[in-house]
Amino acid sequence: MAKHKDAHAPDVVHADHERPNIKLYLGVFGALMALTGLTVFVSKFHLPRPQAIALGLLIACTKASLVGAVFMHLWGEKRLIHKFLYTAGFFGLLMLIPITDFILTRPRAENHADVAAQHPDESAGAGHPVEAKPAEAPAPTPTPAPKAKSKVKAKK
Amino acid sequence: MTTIAIENPSTHSGISNAKLGVWLFLASEVMLFATLFTTYIVLRMGSATWPWGWDALNVPLATLNTVILISSSVTIVMAYARAHAKDVGGFRLWMALTILLSFAFLVVKGFEYSGEFSKGIFPSTSVFYATYFTMTGLHGIHIVGGIIVNCGLFFMSYKQEHWENPLFLGRVEGAGLYWHFVDVVWIFLFPALYLL
Repeated sequence: MAKHKDAHAPDVVHADHERPNIKLYLGVFGALMALTGLTVFVSKFHLPRPQAIALGLLIACTKASLVGAVFMHLWGEKRLIHKFLYTAGFFGLLMLIPITDFILTRPRAENHADVAAQHPDESAGAGHPVEAKPAEAPAPTPTPAPKAKSKVKAKK
Repeated sequence: MTTIAIENPSTHSGISNAKLGVWLFLASEVMLFATLFTTYIVLRMGSATWPWGWDALNVPLATLNTVILISSSVTIVMAYARAHAKDVGGFRLWMALTILLSFAFLVVKGFEYSGEFSKGIFPSTSVFYATYFTMTGLHGIHIVGGIIVNCGLFFMSYKQEHWENPLFLGRVEGAGLYWHFVDVVWIFLFPALYLL
């Protein structure tokens, strides 16, 4: 295929189009593949949840930063674009505020009995559909106070 | 060779309107996916149990999809590099590879979904699967959108008039930015749903 390029013409480059760097792209590709392998490898060890989440998030952030900085040319991009992203990121972080409520106030399930009581559909593990188990005898509950309407009926 | 840098005269920011528009769109997409991820975190923390991805989902297929998507990010940036050099053949080759990889991603995802449906697993099965199908489904829709745009650019490259239009390179760059964003979303989705 012929290249539509005049060898004598000046190489006209718009200032807002980044100049490609093939070697850097290939280097980042290798790094992304290695980090993907590392994520999968580490997850096999079944680390405790906090450590696993921290490590997984760290690797994912590193990969996303590489894609953003190199492939999306954010490294050396104009500041206005950075400001857009900071604004979006700020409002994204604002949405995390409700989570603090879960961390600070919500009582966590301590054992399988708590789990079964709260989420019987997921208590069999792995989130797979499970056959319905016969319900245990319900705990005795105080009889509800008779409603006003029933009182009227009783009178009749 | 002489290089002439032309500041874009149409905007005082020096950034073309198209590029500015793509970045504004991506900022709105960041908000969309941030909402979904926040919902995922709240649902997960609010659940007494949450299955481990290795038990509940097909991790090898998802890993394959990660490799496919990262590879497509490289092929589209190579397509941009070829378009920048006005190499029509090179652009078509790399863009065709990107489109093929995108379809491969959808095919693998289709196998994954069909495996789950055959086991009787649907979004209504549990909160975990509702989250999984919603997030991967929305991501899949974004992949379809990217395929449409990339196919459009691929067919546009067969017309000489588009190569003479200075806006064409900006369109390729915009499509690339969108595709990389879709890749970044998957980079977070993959560990969040499958590995942690």
